[in-house]
Amino acid sequence: MKKLLLGLALSTLVGSGAAIAADVRIGTEGAYAPWNFLDDNGDLAGYEIELGNEMCKRAGVSCEFVVNEWDSIIPNLIAGNYDIIMAGMSVTDERKETINFSAEYYPPDPSKYVGAKGLEVDFDNLKGLKIGAQGATIQAAYVESNLADGNTILTYETPDQSVADLMAGNIDLLLADNSFLAPVVDGSSGAISFVGPDVSIGGGVAMGMRKEDTDLAAKMNAALESMKADGTVDKLIMEFFEAGPFFEN
Amino acid sequence: MLDSLSAWLALNIGEQASSWFDYFTNGKHLAWYASVRFTLLAAVFGALLAVVFGVLGAAARRAGFAPLRWLGLGYTTMVRGIPDVLVFLFFPLAFEQTVEWFMSRRLCSAEELATAVNWPPCSAAQWYLSTTEYLIMACVSLGIVYGAFAANVVHGAMNSVPKGQLEAARAYGFSSRQIFWNFQVRQMWVYALPGLSNVWMLLLKATSFLSLLQIADIVQWADRLGAPNYSSRVGLVHPDWRWKYYFVLFLFYILLAILSERVFAWLQRRASRGLALHGEH
Repeated sequence: MKKLLLGLALSTLVGSGAAIAADVRIGTEGAYAPWNFLDDNGDLAGYEIELGNEMCKRAGVSCEFVVNEWDSIIPNLIAGNYDIIMAGMSVTDERKETINFSAEYYPPDPSKYVGAKGLEVDFDNLKGLKIGAQGATIQAAYVESNLADGNTILTYETPDQSVADLMAGNIDLLLADNSFLAPVVDGSSGAISFVGPDVSIGGGVAMGMRKEDTDLAAKMNAALESMKADGTVDKLIMEFFEAGPFFEN
Repeated sequence: MLDSLSAWLALNIGEQASSWFDYFTNGKHLAWYASVRFTLLAAVFGALLAVVFGVLGAAARRAGFAPLRWLGLGYTTMVRGIPDVLVFLFFPLAFEQTVEWFMSRRLCSAEELATAVNWPPCSAAQWYLSTTEYLIMACVSLGIVYGAFAANVVHGAMNSVPKGQLEAARAYGFSSRQIFWNFQVRQMWVYALPGLSNVWMLLLKATSFLSLLQIADIVQWADRLGAPNYSSRVGLVHPDWRWKYYFVLFLFYILLAILSERVFAWLQRRASRGLALHGEH
């Protein structure tokens, strides 16, 4: 009885109470502009939020976005905390072993290196450098398997931390998605710039889902197909990334 | 109201004051200020539960029935030795999965139970926890951990009640139960309060772990607000400001500590009323 009263008192005070649960919950990082981020009002915004909401509308399901740290985004999908991942996650064979992907909602996009202004290194023979990437990403996997020999690899929990460390001069190079880096380089007023060649790793970006949720995947794929066909996806890409790649259907 | 204040600042002090005011009153910051409620609720309800667990634990330690006494002793010695962060991680997860285990026995088919690789075995047995439920779990966790400390304090305080008082009560014909609650427990507070105030301070500090339970508390929001931002689409572009936000949290906790000390001083005076202490007769 005491517990029940405590629960009641808490739920009235907290104010959230038992909100009507949405059919489908979508997990996102909320710290990866322009894909997904918290805007000035503290609400989730970004390409994936708009795209996801439109997909849900067309699929006829009610959706709700929840914030989850990148590190645990796949384990918590499998644990059932949410039903879909939309967090700028590239399709890779390794991830396909544990989860299922929808059709791609962002075409394959090369990864790029950024370094401090005026950095000159020989990209054919990278040695003796500190190279950073966000942990558990395709870029982290790439640098760890290709550049670990002779260099120091540092991984970060959030993309912002990796940029902050580059700005502070703690690492020489950062490898990340072009779509994330482009506005960062623009906003750095020349402190950092793109260097070296593009690196093509991973496929396009898609929704991650549990393997058994095949009905949900079919529904979402149909909705995405219609949005690609009428140009909605390309329009959203233009709105948030101000550049391609596009699907051009 | 915020808009008109901002306009007043722009007019009377300058554009810069106004834009800082706008920054500190944007939705993200308001959410940060509002998240203080989680910290305060966890502290207050956690402390209430800690006192309940403490009195029960202390009562168990002096029980006549030996297994109950061992339980009380085990609780106070073992739980005090476990880091609070671990209890925070362990208890809610263990509780959730126990509930899910019972649900899965009832709701999942035999085939699902036998073949499932993931937890829970079927989606019907999935118990999704909202912030409210996590907050209740946090309160219970705090109650368990700091109840063990409180039990130790209360146990010591009960022994400090002068034996003569209890003997006098017995001589007047009060029952053991009456003696325990109306004399021993009633008088022990004055001895227990200094120790309990210590426990409260520790508990207050432990409320900074709420974000471990996916509660968007003041620490989580300070993290989010202080994180460097390089995209003007997201808001103000700034480098890593986390230490500035953490510093505000320092001040907040220090303020709470000062406030608590005053409250405890007042409680101490109140609890001492009518008691013969320090040889005053």
